[in-house]
Parts: sequence; C-alpha cells; structure tokens
Amino acid sequence: MTAVKTTETAAPAGGTTPPALPPAVTGGARKRRRRGGAFDRALPYLLLAPALIAILWLIGFPVVSVFVTSFRQLNLGELVRGEIVWTGIDNYVTVLQDERFWTVTLRTVVFTVSVVGVSVGAGLLIALLMRVLTPWVRILLQITMLCAWAMPILASATVYIWMFDQNYGILNKTLVKLGFDQFAGHSWFGSGTSTLSVVGLLIVWQAIPFLAFSLYAGLVGVPRDLYEAAGIDGASGWQTFRAVTWPEIKSLLMMVTFLSTLWDFKVFAQIWVFKEGGPSGESTTLAVLQYLEGIAKSHFGVAAAISVLMMLILGLITFQYLRRLLQTEEGKI
Amino acid sequence: MLKKSAANVAGVLLALFFLFPTYWMITSAMKPQGSTITSDYDLVPLSVTFVNFVTAWTKPGFLSALGNSLMVTLTAVLAAIVVGITAAVAMSRFAFRGRKSFVLLMLVAQMAPFEALLIPMFLMMRDLQLYEHLSSLVLVYFAVTLPFCAWTLRGFVNGIPVELEEAAMVDGCGRWGAFQKVTLPLLGPGLVATSVFAFITAWNEFLFAKVLIRSQDRETLPVWLSGFQTAFGTDWGGAMAASVLFTVPALVFFLIVQRKMVAGVTAGAVKG
Repeated sequence: MTAVKTTETAAPAGGTTPPALPPAVTGGARKRRRRGGAFDRALPYLLLAPALIAILWLIGFPVVSVFVTSFRQLNLGELVRGEIVWTGIDNYVTVLQDERFWTVTLRTVVFTVSVVGVSVGAGLLIALLMRVLTPWVRILLQITMLCAWAMPILASATVYIWMFDQNYGILNKTLVKLGFDQFAGHSWFGSGTSTLSVVGLLIVWQAIPFLAFSLYAGLVGVPRDLYEAAGIDGASGWQTFRAVTWPEIKSLLMMVTFLSTLWDFKVFAQIWVFKEGGPSGESTTLAVLQYLEGIAKSHFGVAAAISVLMMLILGLITFQYLRRLLQTEEGKI
Repeated sequence: MLKKSAANVAGVLLALFFLFPTYWMITSAMKPQGSTITSDYDLVPLSVTFVNFVTAWTKPGFLSALGNSLMVTLTAVLAAIVVGITAAVAMSRFAFRGRKSFVLLMLVAQMAPFEALLIPMFLMMRDLQLYEHLSSLVLVYFAVTLPFCAWTLRGFVNGIPVELEEAAMVDGCGRWGAFQKVTLPLLGPGLVATSVFAFITAWNEFLFAKVLIRSQDRETLPVWLSGFQTAFGTDWGGAMAASVLFTVPALVFFLIVQRKMVAGVTAGAVKG
C-alpha cells in the first residue's frame, strides 16, 4: 500500500468547492427537469449502485463472514464435506490460551511502534532538512527518494536479501573491508530480532519518501511571515519550531502517523519473503501467524479468530484516526 | 554558511542511502555471469553485460507471470476507475438522502484491513469456484482499490467548479454531455494520478496473489519473484535483472504521475 499515499493527503486539500449544489434551473430547462423528476431523483442512487454493491459484496460480506467463521470449527475436513460445526468461543479460547499468540502480538506491536517511530521521525527530520538545502541537493534527494518509493516491494525485498547475503553480500564485504572482521560470513537472518531489524530497515527506507514528501508539502504551506515575525522576536531555532512549525503541521503529522501504523501493523510480504516468519518462528507477526494457521494448516476457524483480534486492534486505531479526521474536516463531507 | 554546507552534506549522504539499493540492483544485474558471486570487492562494476536480462526474460514462468500481472492489474484498475468515477460524481454533484453516510462508508471502506479478510476472501472465492482463477485476483484488487479511487476522485471532482457544468447545460448540453465535454477532460490529471496509485497497489500485491493462485502458470510477478531462489538458485545477477524488469513499469508510471500531479496543481493555481 505504499504507493497509495500521496493523493490521499493531496486530494482533500484540493476539494474546497462546496459539493452538491443543485444545478441552476433556467427557464428553458425547467420544463424538461420537471418531466425527468423521477429519473433525476433516482440518478444519484443509480450512479452509486455499482460501488455500493461492490463494497457490500466484496468488503462488507467478508467482514461479516470472518466473525461468523471465527465461531465455527472449520478445518479441511469440514470444508470439503461442507459441514457447519458451531463451537462457540472455542477458537478464541484456543488462540488466547496459546502462549505463542501473545509472544507474536507483543512482537507485532513492538515492531510496528519501532518502524512507525523511526520512519515518521526520520521523515520529519528530512522534511525539515529539505527546506534548508541548496536546490540541486534537494532535487537530487527527491529523485533518489522517488526511486526508493517506486520500487515494487518484492523487487526491493529481493535486493535487500542480496545486499545482506551471508557470504557475498555487499554489506558484509564492506564491513570486513572497514576492519570489522567478525562480519565475514555473518548471517543477518540467524535470529528473529536481526531478521526483523533488516525487514524494518527495508520498510523504513521505503516509507520515508512518502512521509518526507507529505510533511515537506505541509512545511512549505506554513506562511513565511510567521517565521519572519519569530525572527524579529529573536526566537531560537528550537523556539521557532515549537511555536511556528509544530502547530502548523501537527494534524498532518498525526494523520501520517496513524496511516503508517495501519500499514505497518499488517505487513506480510516483506516478512514472508525474507525468512517466512523464521528462523523457527522468531520473526512471525500477526499477519504471518494468520496465514500459517489459516492457509498453511487449513485451520480456518482459528485463523478467523486471529483475524478478528487483528481487526479489533486495527479498528481501535482506525476509530481514533477517523475521529480526529472528522473533527478537522467536518465541513468538507 | 557552515550550517548550510553541513545540511547539504547530510542531504547528499541521504541521497546515497536512498539510491544505493537501486544502484546495487542495476549494477548487479549488469555484471557478467560468474562475477556477481565473488569475494572480490566490486562496488563499482568494471564490465557491463545484458546477458542477465536475457536470462531473466527467458526463465520459465517470467513472461506468463508478467502477462498475468498486467492483465489482472489493468482490468481491476479500469473497473475501479469506472465505478469509482460514477460514485465520485454522485457524491460530489448531487444532494440526496444518505449522501453523508455513503461518504463515510467510502472513508471507512478505504481503511478496511484487507489482510485480515484473507480467510473469508479465500472461502468466498472457493465457494464461487473462482479459486485458482485470475478473476478472483481481479475481484480482490478491484475491491481494494475502489474505495480509494472513489474517495480520491471525489476530491478531484470537488475541485472542478460546478458552474462550468451549469454553463454547459445552459448552452444546451444534457447532464451526460456536460459531464463528457467539461468534467471529464478537466478530470484528466486526477484520473491519471488516481489510476497510477491504484495500479501500483495492485502491481505490488503479494498475499492474495500467493493464497488464491497456486498453479505456476497463473502466478503473478510478485509471487514468481518471491520464488526466485527456485528459479535462479544463487544466480543473483539474474534475480536482480528480473527485479529491474519488475520495477520498470512501476517507475515509468510513477514518473508520469509526478509530472501530472504538478500539472494538476498548477492548473488549480491558474483557476484561482
């Protein structure tokens, strides 16, 4: 979902025209409009119908279905026979009593918080830095960030695996060259922590461009005279940041932090291609656990319970985010 | 002055950090076979070859995966744009009962955690007998991108003054004529931007492509590339060449949208 990000923030900014003005009714058109009244009233619903049906069918139904499935015993046998076996909350009991679930949940939370923290922090610093750079350095930085952003996840993951390769990876070779001989043949994927650190680095590397670009856009929007006024008042760099920059970009920063949290919490592809959640399950996160239980082991009921728990966590974050968004954008809807 | 040059040095170092993986992907892809896997220190390539690209291109499965990816992605994005644009026009140009709740529904649907819907999606596609068919991926990617497209396009439609459409209708255009002759052309940059971001989302998607398609001849590129070790073994040159080929379409679209986005912004500025 990396790529989806810009327009999401850019588009609402563009939409300032108050929507839904009824078209002007002029003398000539009045007669025709009255005749087509029923059609005109139905028109918006007709236009919405395809989208509404698609969303209810392809998003609404699965959401209901995941809750229903989580109360069923549904393994490969039941699936093939088409049996419906209700087990009440057994799946949840199984999941919540499993020590591994708690380890994985804790790991996912720590991973998400670190990745979001580092990427948002670095994004903000780079956005601030971009403002003071000489134009050609800024353009250079922007182009290179664009390259990182545009690279498909699987391509960048493959490159990272190659760079961190145990024997021939450029990183180990460079470290040895710099005199750190213990890195000769060092395996970066030997433990869960180390694997997740490399995955985290990859995610941060690809997430920073979006964050830096949107925060930079927000910074550029801060009126110049505010800085001049602060300068006249003799404010230091830090004071200017606190008093002028921070209030102006706070809501934007909140928004990108929430979005990053949503995205990073459910990362699957990067973690899977590095080590498939290994070594010995040490880099498994909730998204990977759900896949392993549901698809690899065909325990659909148990996996659905994990999905529901994931959705509850994500739902809490989304709820917070929406509340804030609706507060700031009240007039626009 | 000293502060500024320190900032510039930091900027250049950061640029190197962001560029390096791309640089390493391209140079590894262009190294002669046999000189990728070496203990020599080879940060700067000494000779250049395109053999690896030929290897990757002719690897079994690459071309069919490329075709599958293009087919699935383009179909899904086209459908999402067409359905999204009608919903966007309805949301932004009409006053009707339930409009506000529909707008909210779009906003929420956009944040639907698709990864957490893996199990019900899998079961649903199995019930629909679409499991193992590329059309299941088309449906999923359509659903993933639709709320985003509708929401974003609504923003772009809002940005077009409704007076322009009214003027066209006064001049004798019907609703459809006004939309086709006035709104649609002005929506151009927005349409391009939205469809490119939707394209990249679908182009990148891995989890559903892995779960819903098992047979090799129907794999999409991300899944094919994830098994590169079976395809390439330790032929990193070939794997990197395949990665480059996978990146090119995304990068081209990305560059298009950057220009169009700027064009869209300046167009808005002229309008005032």
